Amino acid sequence: MTFILPDGSRREVEAAEGASILEIAHVHAIDIEGACDGSMACSTCHVIVDPGWWPRLPPADADEEDMLDLAAGLTATSRLGCQVRLTRALDGLVVALPARTRNALLGR
Amino acid sequence: MTTQTESRKRMARAMRPIYLDYQATTPTDPRVMAAMLPWFSERFGNPHSASHAFGREAEEAVEAARRQIAGVIGADPREIVFTSGATESNNLALKGVARFHAESKNHIVTCATEHKCVLETAMQLEREGFSLTILPVGGDGLVDPAAVAAAIGKRTVAVSIMAANNEIGVLQPIAEIGRLCRERGVLFHTDAAQAVGEIPIDVDAMHVDLLSLTAHKIYGPKGIGALYVRRRPRVRLVPLFSGGGQERGMRSGTLPTPLCVGLGAACALAAEEMDGAAGMQGRLRDRFLAGIQARLPDVIVNGSLTARLPGNVNLSFPRLDGERLMARLPDLAVSTGSACTSAAVEPSHVLRAIGVPEALARASLRFSFGRPTTEDEVERAVGRLADEVEGLRQDPSGGA
Repeated sequence: MTFILPDGSRREVEAAEGASILEIAHVHAIDIEGACDGSMACSTCHVIVDPGWWPRLPPADADEEDMLDLAAGLTATSRLGCQVRLTRALDGLVVALPARTRNALLGR
Repeated sequence: MTTQTESRKRMARAMRPIYLDYQATTPTDPRVMAAMLPWFSERFGNPHSASHAFGREAEEAVEAARRQIAGVIGADPREIVFTSGATESNNLALKGVARFHAESKNHIVTCATEHKCVLETAMQLEREGFSLTILPVGGDGLVDPAAVAAAIGKRTVAVSIMAANNEIGVLQPIAEIGRLCRERGVLFHTDAAQAVGEIPIDVDAMHVDLLSLTAHKIYGPKGIGALYVRRRPRVRLVPLFSGGGQERGMRSGTLPTPLCVGLGAACALAAEEMDGAAGMQGRLRDRFLAGIQARLPDVIVNGSLTARLPGNVNLSFPRLDGERLMARLPDLAVSTGSACTSAAVEPSHVLRAIGVPEALARASLRFSFGRPTTEDEVERAVGRLADEVEGLRQDPSGGA
């Protein structure tokens, strides 16, 4: 899968099936915070899914949507990196990292 | 001295015009006022101050009100965002979703008889680069759902069609429009300022994604309203105001606890008393219309009489100047055109949209009946109105 970094550069990385976007980023030292380790309390793993890939993702559940409400720079194709797991159907997925994140745990 | 003052007060009350303008605004119900009062003074806490008891009791009151509002439209309380009224709700709904989806979608659909605040919002978005379709309505004032379906394209972000018209009271087929919007993946907004509390509304059954409502049309205070924003599937919008992120980030600003409580209480009362009030208003309206038609057989009813709010009738009086008629009826409080545009001399855009010629539009009046309206008021209004219309027509300088 491919990450588009805030400076516009692209990083294509190997992704294990079943791993979340957040886990994949951490394996490859891509700077996604994930302050709450995937417990859906912080919204700092906010990623923006490429619109072309968006229809192939299973929809977010209400808890994820609630956290996304608090994310900075929310877009129509925003997701939490901890909640999207790679499957064969998502091989080649492209996501962008937002310019900044907001940690709901810290209220900022 | 006192008796003199008292008798003058009684005189003033007797001289007070008959109020048949409940679609412009309603008096705040005394029960609503009683619920509001403590929150102005002794219970003054900021509902966002969660660190002490003053704030927490205000927050609880606001959340109880949110549940009452949700209840009257079949929503989840978390889907209710407080605003200053329906104008703000309509602005937030349309500008909010259009701007959120601006990168992928750019088209808005609405209709010609919407309230000015919807039409002006849509036109502002057009100036910002969105494309806009303003659908016509039929002679009955109703929009054709097939025309809505035909107007929706790949780039359509939202359709906005009002539930009940503020001038001619007609009820748009919002359940049908909601269903087709959902099928096409387009957001559906309805301005229900005139409908909530008057007719049953269910946001799920009607597939509504965004709904605007206001307190002062349903015997609540002026200055407070709400926007319903669907959570499943989630509707997202860009807020109008920057600030502390209250109301789930959608509407920053400290909530006015007494006004929120007032809107909640008004919704709860409306839900409780809607059936009886609608029946009574319908009977009074029908009696008024029958009385007028008996004396003035050439009177014209504007808009569908079947798909209509029970408490509204809008009439045109041929061969008459509406302004001159109103000048002779200071004892009758009714609207010429819509109240919001009555400062301007232009004839109503709603009457124009349903094909009423300009001269007739200028001789049109809106009568709206409310919970306090009595049979006696209706009878007196019929008598006074018919007398003056007949008088003006006989006056050689009075006809149009």
